[in-house]
Amino acid sequence: MTQIALLLVGLLSHLSIDAAMADAPFKGAGNFYGGLLHPLFVPAHVLAVVSTGLLIGRQKSRLRWLAPASYVVGLAVGFAAMMSAYAPQIAAEVLLAAAAASGGLVALARPLPEILACALALTTGLALAFDSPPSVISVRDANVILMGTFCGAIVLLFAVAKVTSTLRREWQRIATRIFGSWIAASAVLVLALQLAR
Amino acid sequence: MQSLRLSLGIIGASVLTAAPALAHSGSISGGFVGGFAHPLFGADHVVAMVAVGLWGAFLGAPAIFILPVIFPLVMASGGVLGILGVALPGTEVGIAISAIVLGSMVALAARPPDWVQQAVVGAFAVFHGYSHGAELPGGVDAVAYSIGFVVATGLLHLSGIALGLTVRWPAGYIGVRGTGAAIACAGLVFLWQLL
Repeated sequence: MTQIALLLVGLLSHLSIDAAMADAPFKGAGNFYGGLLHPLFVPAHVLAVVSTGLLIGRQKSRLRWLAPASYVVGLAVGFAAMMSAYAPQIAAEVLLAAAAASGGLVALARPLPEILACALALTTGLALAFDSPPSVISVRDANVILMGTFCGAIVLLFAVAKVTSTLRREWQRIATRIFGSWIAASAVLVLALQLAR
Repeated sequence: MQSLRLSLGIIGASVLTAAPALAHSGSISGGFVGGFAHPLFGADHVVAMVAVGLWGAFLGAPAIFILPVIFPLVMASGGVLGILGVALPGTEVGIAISAIVLGSMVALAARPPDWVQQAVVGAFAVFHGYSHGAELPGGVDAVAYSIGFVVATGLLHLSGIALGLTVRWPAGYIGVRGTGAAIACAGLVFLWQLL
């Protein structure tokens, strides 16, 4: 019952976001929420973050905090670089390659060396940050959007990793592997399409 | 667990109630729907995908999950060939033969070694992937399109698995093998139309 009440509070607090915007405490609050949702609405970002979350959620306890920490570091470095107006051109391709690798590793369901898991998480965070250039002119608005995206990308990864770590039944593990193979297949196809263009 | 549910609730509510800052082009919904519909409108694809799931369920573990994992992974490599324009002769014939072979495997209750099962399914996945990749349209969100078509393919496998799980009952055993025979016959029709 408490859980339902908490969910309702969460829902209602977000239902009131639009109304609250009229009295936003600072200019650009809407941009923050826009940035927060950015990773959820860009399919390539969803693929990359979900596959990384699935991969992390399947690992042993030490990697469950080491790999997310690498991801957060990657995001932070990427967004710091973006705020300094640095944006490499191949971020989308790198992000898709990371999604394909993570999805493939989820499908294989083998224990990962720490260095590989951390490198993959770091790359995903970095590429996601570089592939999230805000489309606004104002530097202040752009930075607020980037901060929102930073938070959204972290919440999404931790939520997926947490849910995955609770999947212990055999059919759930199988479903996770199948889902990983779907992500890898989608990412490989899109990567090929982007390289062919 | 409570905090997890709260987090999920907040994420869900956020998705429902706020507008994202999108700097990316292309119609996400149109791309997904187009991709999702693509495998469903080719009867040859549909019967072969269902046959993969059906055969996997018929064989039991580990094939029941290994075959649906292998298929999309290998299918993607075929899709890459199609996207890059690499010639692969006899694609449609290969797809028709996939229905014949996979349907026959189920109908005949064939239980080859694991590596043979995987090689057969993987080999045919290349033809299906190539066909999808070569027909990937421009102007849509490529990621959404690819997700849609991979998900549709996976769901066809799952429907085959669901049907195949009835094999544990005597009537289901006959029904599954009968469905396999019907798929093989459909493959013969597809092949006859191509020749």
